[in-house]
Amino acid sequence: MTALAEGAVAPKVKVKAYVARTAGESRGLGYLIGAICVFLIVVMMAPIVLSFIASIKPSAEARVSPPEYLPRALSLENYLKVYEYQAGLLSYLGNSMLVAALTILLCLLLAVPAGYGLARFKMPFKEVWFIILLAPLMIPYQALLTPLYLTFSKWGLANSHIGLAMVHTILQLPFSIYLMRNSFEAIPKEVEEASRVDGASSFQALISIFLPLVVPGVVTVALFAFIASWNEFLSALIFMNKESSFTVPIMLVSVRAGRLGAVDWGALQAGVILSILPCVLIYILLQKYYVAGFLNGAVK
Amino acid sequence: MNMPVLGRTMLALSLSAALFVPAVAHAETLSIWARASSSNAAQHMIDLWNASHEDKIELTTIPDNQMVTKLATSVQAGDVPDLISFDLIFMPDFMKAGFLTDLTDTLGADPNQAKVAQAFRDLASYDGKLYGTGFTPDVSILLYNKGLFTQAGLDPESPPKTVAELEKFAMQIKEKVPGAYGYYFSGSCGGCNIFTQAPMMWASGATLLPTSGDAPAMDGTGVKEVLTMLRNLWTAGAIPESAEADTGANFQATFETGTVGMQGSGGFAIAALKANHPEIDFGIAPLPGVNEGDASSFVGGDVIAVPKGSKNAAKAIEFIQWQLTDEAQLNALAKNLILPSRSDLADNEYFKAEPRYITTAKAVGIGKTPYAFKFNDMVNADQSPWLTMLQTAVFDGDIDGAIEAARETMRGIAAQ
Repeated sequence: MTALAEGAVAPKVKVKAYVARTAGESRGLGYLIGAICVFLIVVMMAPIVLSFIASIKPSAEARVSPPEYLPRALSLENYLKVYEYQAGLLSYLGNSMLVAALTILLCLLLAVPAGYGLARFKMPFKEVWFIILLAPLMIPYQALLTPLYLTFSKWGLANSHIGLAMVHTILQLPFSIYLMRNSFEAIPKEVEEASRVDGASSFQALISIFLPLVVPGVVTVALFAFIASWNEFLSALIFMNKESSFTVPIMLVSVRAGRLGAVDWGALQAGVILSILPCVLIYILLQKYYVAGFLNGAVK
Repeated sequence: MNMPVLGRTMLALSLSAALFVPAVAHAETLSIWARASSSNAAQHMIDLWNASHEDKIELTTIPDNQMVTKLATSVQAGDVPDLISFDLIFMPDFMKAGFLTDLTDTLGADPNQAKVAQAFRDLASYDGKLYGTGFTPDVSILLYNKGLFTQAGLDPESPPKTVAELEKFAMQIKEKVPGAYGYYFSGSCGGCNIFTQAPMMWASGATLLPTSGDAPAMDGTGVKEVLTMLRNLWTAGAIPESAEADTGANFQATFETGTVGMQGSGGFAIAALKANHPEIDFGIAPLPGVNEGDASSFVGGDVIAVPKGSKNAAKAIEFIQWQLTDEAQLNALAKNLILPSRSDLADNEYFKAEPRYITTAKAVGIGKTPYAFKFNDMVNADQSPWLTMLQTAVFDGDIDGAIEAARETMRGIAAQ
């Protein structure tokens, strides 16, 4: 979101800076804008930096109350605890990655054709169908979990990665379809008509003409599906029954637990830093498509 | 070119695996769920079993506050582990709901079961039947900082014996030692306080949690005495201000700063303090009551039971009975400085070197555990009547009104 906002503001700022420069005030305004940017970066980065600093303190020091900002000694003890906890960090990471990948795949397989259909085909009661598809957004998902679990358990899908990925897909699907429909609708009718004239079927048009044009939408759906699946705790806990099939969020809740709700702050912060990393990596890898999609609309 | 070789290797491997499987098929792998905060203790027991038995046990850690949800949904779906270890306080609710297997004929007949701490035997019985037993117990005690006692002119070997004395000592520490506080409690944590403040109340004969809509609740002078003591300490500034907002996250951390004179805590604090803060010279005493000699304690920790629908119930029961033997109790628990479930083993060779463990182990004998349904609604929940009472009385000062309100709400919950 921040990247989007920055992308949107950037061109205007440039224009203003140019006007200001001609009036001979460029330096002052430049510094002001710089200061605002630095301030915003500090505010956004502070929690992550503080978290990181706390994570490299020795465990006993990280638990000090009231907390101290700077570490007196450095230690990887907290990371080691997270790494070695129960089934081992790699096992939880592997499970989370697999479930997130399956969730992305399922979301795209369902949301892309659904969005295409809703955006490009005439059908009776289309808006009603669309609202029905969006309706699950209005139900708190915790309410769906027990019936889903009982059903999945009967079908042998409980305690399996594909089962959990299906649940994450169910939770993520309304938003994904909404997003894909908007992406397909943004493509001019002429492009579709041209493909028809050239003799392409609907499916061919989808694959060869539309898909390359909605890549930013697809990337956005994938990104959101990844983040939602990566962070999801409750259904992962309910649907998985073995330590060896648990995902990262469950480990993060367990690893920090002390008696009577006491929190092991060091382990918690180390877990936070480790679980942020994949999200940041994926975002950096995909951001050019993500931002490109936004600018496409602006140019037209 | 390498593929056929790889393929043949894989085939050979899978064939040998297939041949190997029937040879070990009779050995089972049992699953056990344990809540995260006691999984460390459970792991010691499981490791000892796995080292000496053909059937193996595999531990799955469930976050503490999700255990009820997790077990309830699993039982409904018929997809349960073979064994389960959870906070003993939920035992009445789980037995009543029919989640657990009746162990009266097997475990009930075991001579070791008769030696398990009374609190565990009481909590695991429902309708004349036995459903579980002690697994990884813990008990509440008064933790005090001997260094601060000395600085305040108090005798570090004489911890308070009554609630009034506790208040006096706390005030003295606040007055005499700059920057120090007399007492600490987590003001927004229902569970922490039922564990540490309630024993001081019932030590003087108070009945706290009602078992039905018209049963006594928050009844007895101890309730008011303890709340008044806390209120006095709070207004005098002898309790750190951070106590009001502490949801339990700093339950252990505050005492570890070395600025708190006394705090109700648990036996687990001994090992944690020794490991992380060797510089703090601390003592352990029973939680006092209103009158001298009234000391009591809350017996907490985990019970072990077999959920209904367990696929290896017979072997699961075998494990439960094994963990009560002298060998398991001493080598898996006492040796790792964890309290044994059996009261007769409290005085063991491992605890002799550390007298503070003897005090803790003795507290199991004088302690009890409230037998209540809907414990979560009455005590642990964020807006529970127990917590609301404590907060209104200590931080707002309306002690009588707070007790009366809690009594009514608790009876309402019990009547549901």
